[in-house]
Amino acid sequence: MLKMQRISKVFRTDLVATHALRDFSLEVAEGEFISVTGPSGSGKTTFLNIAGLLESFDQGQYFLDNEDISNLSDNARSRLRNEKIGFIFQSFNLIPDLNLFDNVDVPLRYRKLPSAERKRRIEKSLETVGLASRYKHLPSQLSGGQQQRVAIARALAGEPRFLLADEPTGNLDSAMAASVLELLKDINNAGTTIIMVTHDPVLAEQTDRQIYVRDGQISNIASTAQIATPRLASGA
Amino acid sequence: MRDLGPILRAMLRNKTGALLIAIQIAVTMTIIVNAVFIIQQRIELMARASGVDEANTFYLSSVGFADDFNAKTTVLEDLAALRSLPGVVDAIQTNAVPMSGSGWSMGLQTEPGEEFDGTGVAVYMIDDHGLNTLDLELVAGRNFTPQDILWREPAARNWPDIVIVTQAVAEALFPDTPVADVVGKTVYINDDESINIVGIVDKLQAPWVGWGAVERAMLSPERTLFNSAQYLIRTQPGQRDILMPQIEEMLASSNKGRIINNLNTIEDTRERSYRRHSAMITILITVMVTLTLVTAAGIVGLSSFTVNKRRKQIGTRRALGATRGDILRYFMLENLLISSVGITLGLILTIGLNMVLVNRFEMERLDWFYLPLGMAALWLLGQLAVLGPASRAAAIPPAVATRTV
Repeated sequence: MLKMQRISKVFRTDLVATHALRDFSLEVAEGEFISVTGPSGSGKTTFLNIAGLLESFDQGQYFLDNEDISNLSDNARSRLRNEKIGFIFQSFNLIPDLNLFDNVDVPLRYRKLPSAERKRRIEKSLETVGLASRYKHLPSQLSGGQQQRVAIARALAGEPRFLLADEPTGNLDSAMAASVLELLKDINNAGTTIIMVTHDPVLAEQTDRQIYVRDGQISNIASTAQIATPRLASGA
Repeated sequence: MRDLGPILRAMLRNKTGALLIAIQIAVTMTIIVNAVFIIQQRIELMARASGVDEANTFYLSSVGFADDFNAKTTVLEDLAALRSLPGVVDAIQTNAVPMSGSGWSMGLQTEPGEEFDGTGVAVYMIDDHGLNTLDLELVAGRNFTPQDILWREPAARNWPDIVIVTQAVAEALFPDTPVADVVGKTVYINDDESINIVGIVDKLQAPWVGWGAVERAMLSPERTLFNSAQYLIRTQPGQRDILMPQIEEMLASSNKGRIINNLNTIEDTRERSYRRHSAMITILITVMVTLTLVTAAGIVGLSSFTVNKRRKQIGTRRALGATRGDILRYFMLENLLISSVGITLGLILTIGLNMVLVNRFEMERLDWFYLPLGMAALWLLGQLAVLGPASRAAAIPPAVATRTV
């Protein structure tokens, strides 16, 4: 589903060139739930940005659903992001002036879906995250965990092929983090591929595969079976 | 337009800045539309033809001071000399010059008697060369003949028994009579002194450009026997500036008992007469330009501030699938909404200000088409002003969404 081959990305300033990714290769199969861990500055976020078509790369090849995205135009990348990828951000990235309904509606409007279809999807995704009754609330009227659930609902409403989660529990306390993780597992069990960047090894252990990144390269890949951590059963 | 609802709802939750800009747009529209209307009126006023061949006509004064100064002889000799000069089309002695601000006025009435109100007219005393010198077109009746011309003493109160009037006077005195049929009618001056209208000319403005009835003038077949005489001289095209100093010198040297002064062209006289209007136009244009720039700067400032404040939000929208065009359209549409609020308010204020000007200063009512033109101009201003900040917003990369700062 997602295939990166020898991807390199260098950030250059007048004084210094930083190799964020070097010969980075990874394949993610449909339905997988993988975590990407590593120290700060290791290249996790750069990987996530490239995987999510938020950023270009200097060398290598990237196939998404067998489509080479290396030479896509900016508009084509926007369309691919909108149709295939769902994003969950560490700080939720909800739009503060929009209520929950309008927040979830944002990507659907860019897809130019009919109003009735958008409404159906928004209600369904807010239902999935347990916030259907609060659709008129503003993000500031919700707790951090609830805001992250709204962000997940926004990602789900687009019915993406895969979800990219950037430290989705980084700003949450442990109880809320556990609840968000359970939600992600449910979504994965329903068939959505998830790539989650996290600092938290305990969280990472609960995914199918753990990718450890250091100095812009994958230094270790472990599967849940290898480290004998049972994959948590989903209620879905 | 699909973002209209969310933009409107977001604006209503965060309306202070937008409201201030909307008010600024409203005030700008109010002032600009009314100012443009006033300027247009002034330009129309300034563009009115005087009826005279302005480009080729000039005038000067002859003031006799010598004890043996003979006004009649001097006028006759001067006119003979002037009319015989190569390059001169014609010349007259007259008591007034169009647009000069100085002249005579009388009242003409169709019935004799003190109880009737007269129609105010400017009086130009001219001889049989008057129509040619002033370049007037006779639309009905006849010109004066040399035998018609009388000499007016300084203290005289009576008037010649014939007159030529402008078409505007004919229409004012006899509104229900065709202009050609006004020839031969009798009118009264000084309440009961009868005068016969022998001719109608197309157009000759009074000396006072601010007078509402500036097109009303009568031509009286007279030369004046005053020590001070004014000559109006019409030249061949291109000869005016050459002849002016020559004629001044010729008249000054031909009679040492007088001085020649007040040498002016009609063009300069027009410029001087309308200087107040020109100054008003300059001031209004300055105010308009300043206001436009301030409003545009306000829109650019607010939009730039908003774009900077929403960098992460814009990055998130891009991450969620917005194209650069979507972001550009978002900010343009947001500005369109703010402008529309301002323009709606401006529409009310514009009409209100015009009503005040009409009631207090007797100005004309604003023509309706100024309103849609003003609205379009303000919408365009808003869209142009927001284009820069909106383009910068569209250039924000989607990767900003994952950055923590």
